[in-house]
Amino acid sequence: MVRQSKRASLSDAAQTVKNGHRIALGGFAIYQRPMAFVRELIRQGRRDLVIVGVVNSIESDLLIGAGCVSRIETSYVGLEKFGLARNFRRAVEAGLVDAVDYPELIAWDRFRASQEGLPFWPCTFLGGSGIVEYNADIVAFDCPVTGVKLWAVPPAAPDVVVVHAAIGDEYGNVAFHPRKLLPQTVDITQTRSSDTVIVTVEKIVSQKEMKRRPDLVEIPAFRTTHIVEVPFGAHPTSLLGIYDCDDDAFESYAQSSASTEAFSAYLDRTVHAIPDHDAYLEQVGLKCLLALRNVELPA
Amino acid sequence: MIASNFTIEELITVTLAKSFKDGEVGFTGLATGGAAALYITGMPLAAMEFARRTHAPNLTILLAGWSINPDFSEIRELPSAEFDSKLQSLPCEAQMQSYPGHYAVRRGDVDFGFGSGVQVDQQGNINSTCVGDYRKPKVRLVGSILLPEHMTCFGREYLMMPHHEARSFVKRVDYVSGVGYPGGNAGREGLGLKSGGPKWIVTPKCIFEFDTQAGKARLRSIHPGVDREELVRSTGFPVSTADVPITEAPTAEEIQILRREVDPHNVLVPHGDH
Repeated sequence: MVRQSKRASLSDAAQTVKNGHRIALGGFAIYQRPMAFVRELIRQGRRDLVIVGVVNSIESDLLIGAGCVSRIETSYVGLEKFGLARNFRRAVEAGLVDAVDYPELIAWDRFRASQEGLPFWPCTFLGGSGIVEYNADIVAFDCPVTGVKLWAVPPAAPDVVVVHAAIGDEYGNVAFHPRKLLPQTVDITQTRSSDTVIVTVEKIVSQKEMKRRPDLVEIPAFRTTHIVEVPFGAHPTSLLGIYDCDDDAFESYAQSSASTEAFSAYLDRTVHAIPDHDAYLEQVGLKCLLALRNVELPA
Repeated sequence: MIASNFTIEELITVTLAKSFKDGEVGFTGLATGGAAALYITGMPLAAMEFARRTHAPNLTILLAGWSINPDFSEIRELPSAEFDSKLQSLPCEAQMQSYPGHYAVRRGDVDFGFGSGVQVDQQGNINSTCVGDYRKPKVRLVGSILLPEHMTCFGREYLMMPHHEARSFVKRVDYVSGVGYPGGNAGREGLGLKSGGPKWIVTPKCIFEFDTQAGKARLRSIHPGVDREELVRSTGFPVSTADVPITEAPTAEEIQILRREVDPHNVLVPHGDH
């Protein structure tokens, strides 16, 4: 017997996601989103997805604009400096997508509940908020020890988690840079909250190479379902230490999402009219991609 | 000596700074774009740094929640993104790299924070979620983000409202993203909230404080040059201007500290004289 390689194509990995699945997409706000994977889900015509997240942005707005989503559970959907998430806004206003609101720390803790196999996460501070007024999934109870008023928040319970990272091996070991920031920690927490974990990486390297720094491996191989090599897989969002946010592409997205007509044309151009991620990168252009790279003097 | 020349933003910054105590921990997020960035990020950061350089050298700044005591002397522009490489390389004392991290919000490690929204009401409820009925909103906005935590787990909250208009100062917010004083202190206690809540509402026209027993905002001071009738007209809930003082002007020395030491590159609280 030989050890199983978990290397997959983007298309095959995306088949893992079924209509109606609860899906968590890694990253945070406009950083480090598995965008190539999202475009592949749209290309495959996935429907009725439930996005469960912490702080969501373009990855969710794009899926919503493409009609793939029926519900989103999170603390934020917006494009930060690029403004409101307009597909999300239109869809919620039209009643096409259910927005289920959670506070930011609790949105994060819901993944910790799933990680620990807990049936709920206790919360102390929800009294008087719209969160409990409108979210029927949150249940009030009296603390059995102290008697104080608490709320039981349901776990995130994602069917599938997808994150984009820098580097891994074909067996599914994935390393994170030691100088990570909070967005990378969301990714790590999320990958520990589900039995199905898809990781897209900038580069798949040899296991020998990965073994040089086992201390940096935050996702061990046995937790990984599929690993997919997808260079610039977070474009137009950034990948810390590797490439910056493509502000021009982001601005173009924000403008295109201002109307359903313009967005339909955007989707045709960037997803439906091209076969795969390679073609997407060709469309973005070599000069543009090279300009986004982080090239720095060694520390 | 009263400064002869200061902006309303500088006036607010110094007023905020004087309300911080030595040893406190202050949290501010990173907003982007024009007045919002100024009110939610620039002025709070300048106020905290001003306090550190004057009466509160042991005050701790949590920038974007994860960069602790950043060194502003090097920055030439307000960071526009919370987690990009520019902010990562901003010199600071400590960088939080994971959640849960350096500090425990729910244990009460944060003494004060700064928040905002599209609507605030007389009880101090703040809304960043939607305009109109939640289930069929006229405008769906970003969501509650960290406001529920700001308004309950932090020791106190400064609500920073860059636009003081009747459409944002309403009788009742359309959605409570962060809870104020429904029923006053007793009301909060009944909701299971033992501490925290809004301290001030800061606007380009005035500063509100709270009668926490009654659970109602009242004017603390009105900024110089603001027309009192116009202030009442732009506030959608009842407000009395009788006997309300003018916001105390900063001294010439305070403005010097702000401009020369706190914000030497005119980035956090830009003024016209640079």
